[in-house]
Amino acid sequence: MAAIGVHLGCTCACVAVYKDGRADVVANDAGDRVTPAVVAYSKNEEVVGLAAKQSRVRNIANTVVKVKQILGRSAGDPQAEKYIAESKCPVTEKNGKLQYEIDNKLVCPEEVAKLIFSKMKETAQSALGSDVNDVVITVPFEFGENQKNALGQAAGAAGFNVLRLIHEPSAALLAYGIGQDSPTGKSNVLVFKLGGTSLSVTVIEVNSGIYRVLATNTDDSIGGVCFTEALAQHLASEFQRSYKHDIRGNSRAMMKLMNSADVAKHSLSTVGSSNCFVDSLYDGLDFDCNVSRARFELICSPLFNKCVEAIKKLLQQVGFTADDINKVVLCGGSARIPKLQQLIKDLFPAVELLNSITPDEVIPIGAATEAGILVGKENLSLEEEALSIECSAKDILVKGVDESGTDKFTVLFPSGTPLPARRQHTLLAPGNNSSVCLELYESLGKSPAKEEGKFAQIVLQDLDKKEGGLHDILTVLTMKRDGSLHVTCTDQDTGKCEVITVEVAS
Amino acid sequence: MLRGAEEGQVTAVTRALSAASVLCQVEPVGRWFEAFIKRRNINVSASFQELEDEKELSEESGDEELQLEEFPMLKTLDPKDWKNQDHYAVLGLGHIRYRAAQKQIKAAHKAMVLKHHPDKRKAAGEQIGEGDNDYFTCITKAYEILSDPVKRRAFNSIDPTFDNSVPSKSEAKENFFEVFSPVFERNARWSNKKNVPKLGDMNSSFEDVDAFYSFWYNFDSWREFSYLDEEEKEKAECRDERRWIEKQNRAARALRKKEEMNRIRTLVDNAYSCDPRIKKFKEEEKAKKEAEKKAKVEAKRKEQEAKEKQRQAELEAARLAKEKEEEEVRQQALLAKKEKDIQKKAIKKERQKLRTTCKNWNYFSDNEAECVKMMEEVEKLCDRLELASLQCLNEALTSTTREGGKAAVEKQIEEINEQIKREREEAEARLRQATKSSERSTSGGGGGSKNWSEDDLQLLIKAVNLFPAGTNSRWEVIANYMNLHSTTGIKRTAKDVINKAKSLQKLDPHQKDDINKKAFDKFKKEHGVVPQTESAAPSERFEGLVTDSAPWTTEEQKLLEQALKTYPVNTPERWEKIAAAVPGRSKKDCMKRYKELVEMVKAKKAAQEQVLNAAKAKK
Repeated sequence: MAAIGVHLGCTCACVAVYKDGRADVVANDAGDRVTPAVVAYSKNEEVVGLAAKQSRVRNIANTVVKVKQILGRSAGDPQAEKYIAESKCPVTEKNGKLQYEIDNKLVCPEEVAKLIFSKMKETAQSALGSDVNDVVITVPFEFGENQKNALGQAAGAAGFNVLRLIHEPSAALLAYGIGQDSPTGKSNVLVFKLGGTSLSVTVIEVNSGIYRVLATNTDDSIGGVCFTEALAQHLASEFQRSYKHDIRGNSRAMMKLMNSADVAKHSLSTVGSSNCFVDSLYDGLDFDCNVSRARFELICSPLFNKCVEAIKKLLQQVGFTADDINKVVLCGGSARIPKLQQLIKDLFPAVELLNSITPDEVIPIGAATEAGILVGKENLSLEEEALSIECSAKDILVKGVDESGTDKFTVLFPSGTPLPARRQHTLLAPGNNSSVCLELYESLGKSPAKEEGKFAQIVLQDLDKKEGGLHDILTVLTMKRDGSLHVTCTDQDTGKCEVITVEVAS
Repeated sequence: MLRGAEEGQVTAVTRALSAASVLCQVEPVGRWFEAFIKRRNINVSASFQELEDEKELSEESGDEELQLEEFPMLKTLDPKDWKNQDHYAVLGLGHIRYRAAQKQIKAAHKAMVLKHHPDKRKAAGEQIGEGDNDYFTCITKAYEILSDPVKRRAFNSIDPTFDNSVPSKSEAKENFFEVFSPVFERNARWSNKKNVPKLGDMNSSFEDVDAFYSFWYNFDSWREFSYLDEEEKEKAECRDERRWIEKQNRAARALRKKEEMNRIRTLVDNAYSCDPRIKKFKEEEKAKKEAEKKAKVEAKRKEQEAKEKQRQAELEAARLAKEKEEEEVRQQALLAKKEKDIQKKAIKKERQKLRTTCKNWNYFSDNEAECVKMMEEVEKLCDRLELASLQCLNEALTSTTREGGKAAVEKQIEEINEQIKREREEAEARLRQATKSSERSTSGGGGGSKNWSEDDLQLLIKAVNLFPAGTNSRWEVIANYMNLHSTTGIKRTAKDVINKAKSLQKLDPHQKDDINKKAFDKFKKEHGVVPQTESAAPSERFEGLVTDSAPWTTEEQKLLEQALKTYPVNTPERWEKIAAAVPGRSKKDCMKRYKELVEMVKAKKAAQEQVLNAAKAKK
């Protein structure tokens, strides 16, 4: 059973196929693994992808870009207003719905999205060699109900059977299988997504294989195009320096320069220097310029700083330090930039930076993985209540001592564990003691456990003394959905057992 | 590393957990999320149900162990008679019976097997029955029955410990609830539906009681009696036998089921008839109905009273109004009468006065005859004169001398006479008019506004015949024709013509004949004279023919027309042939008739043309 995951970004769309237990991105008919989300309307056909993007120089008024930004939004929405102001393709409002005006015909954003989805479907089908309908589509975390509906409708119109719409950061985690292998314990993951037009940073708590978004931050003012633009500006100034022509006011020349800068930017992620060459850029003059990676990084350094600031701000918002983050996932095409990766690594020195999957393919792969999980399931409908589940409110800790003899608390049952849950630990006690005492505490907020947090103690008496050995105390904690706790302690050698049940204070 | 316990430390819970679980929004992705939702929705997987049920299970397991001790009963079991054993008791579940969970049955069986398996007992040196004769077979059978939901249900249905009794009515007279409540509770287990309503108590609301009885009257029981089947289907040797057994069993089951239904029905009937609440409700209902009825009657009565009152008030008012009116009328009549009387008196007085005055003056004459005549006249005056004029006359009479008085009286007399004469004339005129109008109505207005001479009438009839109904603007044409041919020279309009024609139509046939005859006479006279005056040359025969030619009947006319058509103009000997075609007519007759017809047509056309021209000119 094959299923696919589709990521529709502002600038690019990408499709991954789940087949035989593996999720993989498939290349489109042009051989690219990522398809530009650009639709060009000509007299008798609609062109999607690279061809549309490149022909935009000549056909700017009839080429739709960044359709995701307007999808599902209504007139009066500040985001939509901003988009309309920037759009080179005229947008009009009719019956409260925003529509593109192309060749005196009205085209609604859903139709444009539908064309892109159709293209994605074709790509997946040609790769699989069979028809495929089941799809998981990713949406940004901040997408509202209307936008989700619009996206779902567009996908439905393209012939897809949408299994589920999932959030992009969750898909990124799923692509790396975070928390899906060992469903115990708890970790915090930072998802850094630098897309074509926006930067979004998200902190996700993973507990028992279940993801919970703690905080997210989206900055629409920075994205991949910003880097391209900055480079293009630099190239324009270079051109001016050599030929004394200011081409910044010439939209067509700038478009050509942007395309060239885009290519250069991509190659600079892998090679040290890149050559920009534009035939007949302006006034019949050819333009040829070499850009080194160092130059590029210099040009873009304010943008890099902005990205790092965004991460810092988010951590502050959650109240985390860099040490509280266990993993960082990079996604979005611009997260490839080596300098940016270096900066993030500097920010989280002790943390594993997950970039083994090409950043712009992370999200579609995650979507395809989810599609693989969901496909063939009978009951896919999610009620609202399914999304809110009972979790334990506080950490349950046990007090022990470390080698030096100071008190040390160990978390037995982390907060935020979906309930009911059972956690099993083997605790060690020095073998020369004939008794063992487990003192159970609950955490009080973020501060370390104190004496007030103690709620129970379990004492095991008359254990066999083992000089030089250790007592293995098997501790099983079970928490029911209402939050009441049941603890069983067993000494593995003697089989001595103590059981307590702690109710919730009403 | 855990530390050791200090002296005197014991296991204890010092306080409850401070926070309950919190609801968190999670991302709907991943394997574990799916698994979690599935577990939660179905609520059957190990981690959920086990975790939730752990406490109860741990409590129950203690009981089971206790039960396992008493197995002397097992030894008394006869493996051959397994069908009559109490399977729950065999497995040591006698205390929970049908409430036992599948898991408990399994556990109990396991425990029993551990203890009573022949191998184990053999090892313990116990005597074991041969083959199926050991009581262990009973345990196996019991588990076989109880582990299969269908078989277990069948066994549950005939649970030997179940009390099938139904309390009689007399039993429940005193303490209805104590008697019936447990009965209903134990029968509730047969219900297919969950949440069986409770009997309740004396204070239950009517709705509850109603729901209770409607539930029990429509009791949907799962109890079935396949366990009691006499024969076993599996034992049959062939299909036919199996079928026969099945049939037998089905009949037996149906019978038992019916009995069971009857039992429940009796139970509910008994309960219903004894239920003090039902009695109460019935009484309440009755009281309520009565109260309602009373209220209704009261209301009706009141309404009627009110109506009656209103009616009487209306009548009174009407009567008063009528009386008042009558009084008024009477008053007026009285007044009028008085006035009349007064007037009468006055007029009488005045008359008397006139008479006396006239008498005093000896009726203005000395002559006896004149006197008498004058008297008559005066009497006439008295009769006819109004009060005012009488007064006036009297005044005049009293103020003047005899002569003056005479003149005045005479003048009055003259006036009166004149008046009388006039009146008479008028009456006569009216009379005349009346007779005249009646006369006219009979004669059909013969003497119309314009005098129609005989000739004209004749002409009109001719014209009317000439231009039959349907002719274009027929009456104009007729009028024109009349004007053209009339000898009187009176111009007639279409309207005149119509009137005349209509009046003519009204005339009775006799009169018409009369007119026709007259016309004919005249015609004869005229035509008799004309040829003589015209010339003497034409032969007598011709003249005779003309005069004697009988009128053409319509039939003859038709025949003639037909012949004219069949023999066109250029036919040799045309007229001979035509004459032959019209029986009773000679060639000459035909020719003559033809000429006449041609003339008539011509005239007709001319008249029509003229009318048309006139109409055009008008336009």
